[in-house]
Amino acid sequence: MASLIHCPHCGIRPKEEFTVRGDASLVRPEPDASDEAWHEYVHIRANPRGRTREHWQHLYGCRRFLVVERDTVTHEVYSVTDGAAAARGGSR
Amino acid sequence: MLFQSRHPLESKIGSGSSIRAVDHLEIPRSVAIATVLSHPDETAAVVAGFAAAGDLVMRNVAPGEWLVLSHIERSDSLERRLSGLLTDIADVVDQSEGRVLLRLSGPNVRRILAKGVAIDLDPSAFAIGQSVNLRCGHIAVNFARSGENEFELVVMRSFAESLLEDLLLMGREFDLSYGFSGGLADPD
Ligand SMILES: [Zn+2]
Repeated sequence: MASLIHCPHCGIRPKEEFTVRGDASLVRPEPDASDEAWHEYVHIRANPRGRTREHWQHLYGCRRFLVVERDTVTHEVYSVTDGAAAARGGSR
Repeated sequence: MLFQSRHPLESKIGSGSSIRAVDHLEIPRSVAIATVLSHPDETAAVVAGFAAAGDLVMRNVAPGEWLVLSHIERSDSLERRLSGLLTDIADVVDQSEGRVLLRLSGPNVRRILAKGVAIDLDPSAFAIGQSVNLRCGHIAVNFARSGENEFELVVMRSFAESLLEDLLLMGREFDLSYGFSGGLADPD
């Protein structure tokens, strides 16, 4: 796993300061979406090899939710964005 | 009813080390500490408010969130003053009984801290006055450089004993000494 994460608020920190909170590429279905759509959203996860987009929380630092783009094979970190900023940017 | 304020490390520290070493861990007895949380989009106004007050020590916690320290004020007057200063732009909560301040100083302080802290402590990388939240060992602390070779850690009350033990262990190589300092006079 990527061992150093560049938090946009706190600087470069070891991964031990963070908790991974899951896939950040999922889009929450509309409330009246089908059971299948909700089942997919709540329970079904891919386990991708390569580039992923995840929510990481900087629990021991600023406690903000971050969106981390990283590679599960090479451990390279491509980008770290504040979660609120990522949501505002609408970049899903 | 009479309330007595008792420092969380009272029983652990007592009268402290008998000899003060060059590297010293000082625990100031009475520090007023408050958290300030900016309302959305008021961060710049809060920072300007702090600057206008002049004498407040601000510690960065997160975007729009700070710890404010005062060594000369009592906790209730600090909370009152901050609330007045930041009316409608931030929320202020007194944390004086909830947090403990520890001050580590001496020529070997970086080598001691490097055993528990994973940021670059070089004087050029971490300037005097800079502050961040980070992990020291297994404990979350607010960490600041308060002088040339001096750092201050603010920790939640219930973690203070653990952090003290960790710091003393980290400093044993340098005979790190420790003890209380200061204390405000009683109001009447
Ligand atoms: Zn952070």
